[in-house]
Amino acid sequence: MKMRPKWLAVVLMLVLPALAAMPAYAESTLDKILKEKKIRVAIDVGNPPFGILGKDGQPDGSDVAVARQMAKDMGVELEFVQVPSTGRIPALLAGRADVTIASISVTTDRAKAVMYCHPNGALSIVIFGPQGVAITTPADLAGKRIGITRATLEEATVPKMAPPGTNIVWFDEIGATIQALLSGQVDAVAMTSFAGKTVADGNPDKKIETKLAVTTAYYAPIVRHGDFELREWINTWIFINTNNGVLAALYKKGTGVDLPPLPIF
Amino acid sequence: MNYVFQFNVVWEHLPELLAGALLTIQLSATAMALGLGVAIVCAYGQSAGPRPVRALISGYVELIRNTPFLVQIFIFYFSLPVIGIRLTANGAALAAMTINLGAYASEIIRAGIEAIPRGQVEAARALGLKPLQTFRLIIIFPAIKTVYPALASQFILLMLSSSVVSTISAVELTAITNSLQSTTFRSFEFYFVATGLYLAMALGFKAALSTIYWAVFQRGRAA
Amino acid sequence: MGRSFGFDEFLYLLLAIPWTLLLSLGAMIGGGILGLVIAVLRVSPYRPLRWLTTGYIELFQGTPVLMQLFVVYYGLAVLFNLQVAPWPAVLLAFTLYSGAFLGEIWRGSIQAIPRPQWEAAECLTLSYPKQLWYVILPQAARISIPPTVGFAVQLIKTTSIAAIIGFVELTRAGQLMTNTTFKPMIIYPIVAGLYFMMCWPLSLLAQRLERRIDATLGVKRHF
Repeated sequence: MKMRPKWLAVVLMLVLPALAAMPAYAESTLDKILKEKKIRVAIDVGNPPFGILGKDGQPDGSDVAVARQMAKDMGVELEFVQVPSTGRIPALLAGRADVTIASISVTTDRAKAVMYCHPNGALSIVIFGPQGVAITTPADLAGKRIGITRATLEEATVPKMAPPGTNIVWFDEIGATIQALLSGQVDAVAMTSFAGKTVADGNPDKKIETKLAVTTAYYAPIVRHGDFELREWINTWIFINTNNGVLAALYKKGTGVDLPPLPIF
Repeated sequence: MNYVFQFNVVWEHLPELLAGALLTIQLSATAMALGLGVAIVCAYGQSAGPRPVRALISGYVELIRNTPFLVQIFIFYFSLPVIGIRLTANGAALAAMTINLGAYASEIIRAGIEAIPRGQVEAARALGLKPLQTFRLIIIFPAIKTVYPALASQFILLMLSSSVVSTISAVELTAITNSLQSTTFRSFEFYFVATGLYLAMALGFKAALSTIYWAVFQRGRAA
Repeated sequence: MGRSFGFDEFLYLLLAIPWTLLLSLGAMIGGGILGLVIAVLRVSPYRPLRWLTTGYIELFQGTPVLMQLFVVYYGLAVLFNLQVAPWPAVLLAFTLYSGAFLGEIWRGSIQAIPRPQWEAAECLTLSYPKQLWYVILPQAARISIPPTVGFAVQLIKTTSIAAIIGFVELTRAGQLMTNTTFKPMIIYPIVAGLYFMMCWPLSLLAQRLERRIDATLGVKRHF
């Protein structure tokens, strides 16, 4: 009887350190999402046509539709984290969202802070303005007030191609940039061709037209550095839904144009 | 999830932040001066003006004091152009700040005016001074002296509220901070330092206003 | 897009009002509790407590609300690894803000109670905490009602700042409606009008309470 406890103690003393030496299993973000049965997606409802506020006050738009489909296929509940344009990446980095699906164009600068999934769409940045404003070449931008939204692709590209003497006016969100164009506070604005078309169609009296093409880019969902499993799941999902035409249908419904061939990297 | 603070990114951009702080100071100082002018005129109108003028000024004051400053600047920048009044971003910011300060300051100065002993005003009347002269020579100076602390507080509040003019693209410290953090993704670090700069400016304005008080009201005068 | 502004759009604005009020109420309650603690500590005989609370008040009164909001919103997740939605972050930021201002207002009310009250309470062998609780605070509470109501008005207006980080209260609802209807000339003045309807009655109440307190204060002072 007295021998047993001592023997047990020896066994425990050998086994416990071995157990402790096993590496703790770090739960990946994908595991967390699947365990909690909820995925949090950061979206921007002020960014037509990728994210808008529908007539019923609910989020809508091409990227919002992609988020909904993705969550459905993953079999988890979807929670929208509505952020302004400047908050799309910070919300992800701060952990408030698991993935951001808000037409984040692929740039090397952003890739320093986040991980891109495969692209799920393409957009082009153009300079828009009312009929009376004469802009046909980049040099014409000099001396004009050009409205640009922060934390966007146009922020990263337009200042580089604009000549010195261009008066760039910065806004925190595209809604304000659009308002500035419509109220004449700026001569022209730089934004996606889709957003521009939305503005032009909604205000036929202002006769807004495309002036200059700046660049085209693919955009993709983004995840935090290290969330490889989640990224791979999203890439797999994009692969499947590119081939079965679902992505193309959602894209066309929101933007009105056909989805171009999407690259994989 | 570990977050590595990278304040060195902020220090690299310190000159731009300081330039923004200077713009805030310029904008605020101009609005303070203009707003004080508006306030004095309104305070006079409210104490000596005819009924319709008093009602008009009252309406203006109550309207400004019961609506948010953010909505006021939106109206100045986005709404006015629809009826043909187009101000630049900094112009709209200055106009809105002036109108805003004017309303609050006029109430403060009015309180100061009411604190002037009746006897002073009656004596001035007896000496044949006209109302405007009475106001200019007898009333305004002691009134402002009495309410100076409240007025100084309101000035500081104005300087702090200038941070929201970044939403209409006016260029000052918050706007520059927004631009910097949106390209470097170091949001927390930049906002933290910008907050520190505002605090420094608030303390600086307080000191400057104290000095002005001493220079205008105390130096070489009988207590 | 470019839908006309009709009843649906107005309803969207109206439905945002509860959020504005909820945020204000929450901050008022949270800030009230915090403010009471701060006010009491601010007048405590222990110097470190006084310094700490003075520093807190100076910090929140000397920095823009927008910056406070940004720092809390981006900082919470980063510093404490807390994933918070906009609503708790905004509520926390405004609670801290209200705590500072209410603390300062109530500190003023406590210090307005004449010394003899404290001394008489001490003569009755009441300990310091009991003096505060049974004698001083009830009287200070009465004096503090008008400025507290006044601050409630200020708070309702300040909640508009939450729009800038995308929290949907009345101002943000106005922005979103403007984005879909492109009619800033109609929407922002309506938003201002809705704020006015919320704030003006409270302002009038504060003014009336101020007059009543002033009148009775004269009577209450028997010493």
